[in-house]
Amino acid sequence: MLLLLRTSALLFRTHLARLAWSRRTLVCALLAALGPLVAFLIAAASRKTNASEIAVHVGYLLQLQVIVPVLALVAGSAAVAEEVEDRTITFLFSRPLPRASVLLGRWSAILVFLTVLLAASTWLLLAAAGRAKGPPLDDGIREPLLAAVLAGGAVYSALFAVLGVFVRSPVIVGLGYAFAIEGFLANMPAGTQSLTIQYYLRSMIAGLGSSQWSAVEGFASTSFEPLPRALTTLSIVLVAALALGAWRITRREFVLSS
Amino acid sequence: MTVLVEARDLSRYYGPVVGLNDLTLALDEGVTGLLGPNGAGKSTFLKLVAGEIRPSRGSLRVLGYAPFANREYFRRVGFCPQQDALYGEMTGLEFVVFLLRLSGHGKSDARRLAQRAIERVRLEEAMDRRTRGYSKGMRQRIRLAQAIAHEPRFLIVDEPMTGLDPLARREMSALFAELAAEGVSILISSHILHEVEGLTRNVVLLHRGRLLAQGPVPEIRKLLSRHPRKVEIGARDARSLAAALLGLDHVLSVRLAPGGDSVQLETRDLDRFWSELPRIAATARAGIHTLDSSDANLEAVFDYLVV
Repeated sequence: MLLLLRTSALLFRTHLARLAWSRRTLVCALLAALGPLVAFLIAAASRKTNASEIAVHVGYLLQLQVIVPVLALVAGSAAVAEEVEDRTITFLFSRPLPRASVLLGRWSAILVFLTVLLAASTWLLLAAAGRAKGPPLDDGIREPLLAAVLAGGAVYSALFAVLGVFVRSPVIVGLGYAFAIEGFLANMPAGTQSLTIQYYLRSMIAGLGSSQWSAVEGFASTSFEPLPRALTTLSIVLVAALALGAWRITRREFVLSS
Repeated sequence: MTVLVEARDLSRYYGPVVGLNDLTLALDEGVTGLLGPNGAGKSTFLKLVAGEIRPSRGSLRVLGYAPFANREYFRRVGFCPQQDALYGEMTGLEFVVFLLRLSGHGKSDARRLAQRAIERVRLEEAMDRRTRGYSKGMRQRIRLAQAIAHEPRFLIVDEPMTGLDPLARREMSALFAELAAEGVSILISSHILHEVEGLTRNVVLLHRGRLLAQGPVPEIRKLLSRHPRKVEIGARDARSLAAALLGLDHVLSVRLAPGGDSVQLETRDLDRFWSELPRIAATARAGIHTLDSSDANLEAVFDYLVV
């Protein structure tokens, strides 16, 4: 266990430094700028829409439903798959290290990176929305959105990192999942929503947020999970995904072409 | 001598493709050359020995261990893979230190061992540069440095000479000889017999995933030498070169290429031919600009042996 933590910490530090050089970082930064940009444009163009309406709509429909899963996919899927694509995994897997540390260490670095990026993006989105008319945004909008976005970043990135342990093209499979499952099922009525991460993230907003979130279509009519249950479910999904990934990476062979 | 590698009915399939087929062999300590044309199964065998992949069938023990994902085993071996992959954003020194730290070495110990390994591969001047700026030869050296840095008992090297200039090849060979003298066992793959010959007498020949021959180089060479070898020489004055070559008793035939700018010949003693060529070239003042012995590629030799 100590060795797992030690090597994970080493891989965490190294991967965090690598992220600074990565082209993925640039893609992620551009994606993260999208939410604030849209909020800014709406605030600048529309005189009728007030700040809270912009924040809840852009935050919910764009930031939480699209940006978070896609950003987590771009960053998270690289955790193991990048080492395989770059064919550097040979160097790691010919060392006496617990193989799970490759997943855990690199995902931890991605989590820190995503947390910083999503927090900055959400803060800018709220700031851009706050430029519109109307009363300033209250904590009932800011805090739930930030909490749901960061939780989403953690859970989605773990899922996509683990996907990279199982399949050769995690981005393609992940995109399918993000749009077909998360994008489609999460917006279907009744119980199917509970099969998605989105549903529990929305439940967080419902549990923490103010009544202004009801402005989003369908929000008020949806029956969400209580906050503790949503948090528990998200935590279980995250831990289970990482445990499954750790188990698989320990046994899987990665066949690289010469 | 202790048995280092023991394979019994070892097979490895990649879906429907056979990488290695029913290989049974035992390798003793020391230096062993693994030879075969492209697709012979050399890299598959090395990946199995390096613990990167599992056998599909049969068994493999190296240093008494089953290699796949075996941490105890990885402490004792160094693997220099063929693929030209590095962490481009790291310097050469950082790369080797990083991998040593993953092997459990402390910071200062890792730095000391890394510097020593980098000095051994003669890359100390470039060790503080990012590896993405390295030449092919430098990349090969740093990969070798990471393989020897933790002072393994057994070194596995996949096609280490590929892409190296003659001087670098000589230096690399000298390093392998030095390591062998220190008691490190080495398994080195190549598709060029001549490269391996300078390092060891012990050779394993693979062909189409099967063991073709195993033994000392001279015996295998004797087998190969019965086969006439073809050489093509491009020269400014191919005609006078052809005339000079006809005087060599081991040259069986000489033919001018249709364009008249090269000579194609057959010899029954390739070694003698190579040693006599510089003298012939100087005498004939032929202006040689290219040399190609398709038979030097083991593929042709293997085709001959298999037939």
